[in-house]
Amino acid sequence: MASATDSRYGQKESSDQNFDYMFKILIIGNSSVGKTSFLFRYADDSFTPAFVSTVGIDFKVKTIYRNDKRIKLQIWDTAGQERYRTITTAYYRGAMGFILMYDITNEESFNAVQDWSTQIKTYSWDNAQVLLVGNKCDMEDERVVSSERGRQLADHLGFEFFEASAKDNINVKQTFERLVDVICEKMSESLDTADPAVTGAKQDPTFF
Amino acid sequence: MSCSGGPPPAALSTSGPVLLAGRLEEVPLEVLRQRESKWLDMLNNWDKWMAKKHKKLPTILKQAGPAQHWQRGWARELLVWTHGHSRPFDFQIRLRCQKGIPPSLRGRAWQYLSGGKVKLQQNPGKFDELDMSPGDPKWLDVIERDLHRQFPFHEMFVSRGGHGALCASCAHTHPSFPEQELDMSPGDPKWLDVIERDLHRQFPFHEMFVSRGGHGQQDLFRVLKAYTLYRPEEGYCQAQAPIAAVLLMHMPAEQAFWCLVQICEKYLPGYYSEKLEAIQLDGEILFSLLQKVSPVAHKHLSRQKIDPLLYMTEWFMCAFARTLPWSSVLRVWDMFFCEGVKIIFRVGLVLLKHALGSPDKLKACQGQYETIERLRSLSPKIMQEAFLVQEVVELPVTERQIEREHLIQLRRWQETRGELQCRSPPRLHGAKAILEAEPGPRPALQPSPSIRLPPDAPLPVSKAKAKPPKQVQKEQRKPSKASGQPDQPLTPNQAAVVTAAGDACPPQDVPSEDPAPQDLTSQDSAHHHSRESLTSQESEDTYL
Repeated sequence: MASATDSRYGQKESSDQNFDYMFKILIIGNSSVGKTSFLFRYADDSFTPAFVSTVGIDFKVKTIYRNDKRIKLQIWDTAGQERYRTITTAYYRGAMGFILMYDITNEESFNAVQDWSTQIKTYSWDNAQVLLVGNKCDMEDERVVSSERGRQLADHLGFEFFEASAKDNINVKQTFERLVDVICEKMSESLDTADPAVTGAKQDPTFF
Repeated sequence: MSCSGGPPPAALSTSGPVLLAGRLEEVPLEVLRQRESKWLDMLNNWDKWMAKKHKKLPTILKQAGPAQHWQRGWARELLVWTHGHSRPFDFQIRLRCQKGIPPSLRGRAWQYLSGGKVKLQQNPGKFDELDMSPGDPKWLDVIERDLHRQFPFHEMFVSRGGHGALCASCAHTHPSFPEQELDMSPGDPKWLDVIERDLHRQFPFHEMFVSRGGHGQQDLFRVLKAYTLYRPEEGYCQAQAPIAAVLLMHMPAEQAFWCLVQICEKYLPGYYSEKLEAIQLDGEILFSLLQKVSPVAHKHLSRQKIDPLLYMTEWFMCAFARTLPWSSVLRVWDMFFCEGVKIIFRVGLVLLKHALGSPDKLKACQGQYETIERLRSLSPKIMQEAFLVQEVVELPVTERQIEREHLIQLRRWQETRGELQCRSPPRLHGAKAILEAEPGPRPALQPSPSIRLPPDAPLPVSKAKAKPPKQVQKEQRKPSKASGQPDQPLTPNQAAVVTAAGDACPPQDVPSEDPAPQDLTSQDSAHHHSRESLTSQESEDTYL
């Protein structure tokens, strides 16, 4: 987070268009599957078991280099409790990618994946790319959702699939990079027309 | 949310006036002790202080008599008021809440202000009944998974410059990490170990604080579960947990439950309900009020199209418990319980104004991300207790303005989004409004303020034992009364007596006020060695 809180960073960000693309990504899934931890691991490379439950919605920004492009990721972390959906689904609009997360030690969170997928279809645009992520794969002893079931569900829904651990830093970076690649692929497929939603304009109306 | 959003329940929460005086406020110790005794008196005569019909007050004064121990200063205030009609009592209470409720009496004051105490008396045994019920599994699971996620401050403290003492003292007051719940918490044992080793080393002169073991996550679970049973149609909302956790730091589970009920139903109705419409509406109200308070900040936020929900959801739903430094949280809650949601709005407005209120400040906030980042990691200066409270007190945003804006935004909502799906009861603006809304006459409050002495100390179990200090105090008050200088600081000797009353066992309470005198000795030793949760039969005060 050091770079983001640094005012120089902000100046730099705002003075020049220091990226080629800006992707808006949302992390969704049931409460306490580890969304915030996953984001913190990726953006700050830190993990603490001491996160508070997310109230509302939050986001972090990370700029990466991928395929010779500077890509600014705006990653939104959402409260998982169903009650917050009225607030969080408003932010689905304009998202280019979703990380749909469940907890491999929690059956219910896995059962809710289908429902979350429906939420994405309802509130976001058709081209949004989704990755299914089974988090907490470090807790093998408590696993209740097998990798196989995860993969099957992902296939069924047409998503790519990862098992990951924010705690042990397994597949976190890979998940985001794969999502970025998938978005880039989709973009080049449907591009030429220069979709304004994926250009890096600062006052991008799809931001909110 | 993030680490930075977590509240640091600092040592100040438990330190009491002594530390406060040295570190923050520079309020002389004598003044703090005086405040404490004034609060004690006010709480012991709460009904009179809150009496609706001011005309009756002179009679109360007559009735008060020597046994009531009216504080000299307040007796004078009362006379000024009855003759000059200058200062109604609720004004005095408000003023005292703005100055900060003495830590030793905070829990009781919050219960009295919120009407939680009244609710408890109206519903004896209700909490126990709810507590015994199994509860709806769909909520229990969610609650269970939130228990350890309320104030995971410890790592934050240790890693940011090693304020180990703060860490330990918060855990000491903090319900989320009691030793018996270690197995339920995924927290790193190395921190808990550090905390545990410091628990007894913080306030050795407050023995009663040290030996309270065993409540915590379990109580948090009980309170939240009870609420889902009390209002099954509402269920559990995640933002209720930090609210309940803060309450539990100040009072036993049953009391905390009724205070939570009051917050959810009177102070912030609809905030935690399905659809979260009330919080969205308040976001719009806040933003609209900002236009008057800080046009610069308002313009900036609207130009960047930043939805108020992005920054105010956690602020408002958690009543800033996760945003502000701990000492500021407590001061804000003191005022909030007294004056209602207005305080929450004002705090939000003050923070926005000072974070984004000048072109200079906006230089580093050119993008949306930078702006939100600014609001998420607010400058400690603007959150500092004394500064923030002063700003909040002075900000001219009234209940009427909020209500007017509420109507405007509600109409707008209905035009664009249709009728509200959850009909919440109207919100009540503070202690006075809540009291006045209570239907019909109610029995007088029964204070049970018996602050316990540590087991080794002599216990004032009998009237005979309690009398000597009472007489001493009475005698000491007399000369000042005669001198007509009620606000004069007490002499060290007098101050010591008053402190003893506030911190340990107020002698005047024991003989007359306690409705059901209990065997203090047995109960005390029981709870000092018990690892079980506190019960409501125990002390209302100094619940830290």
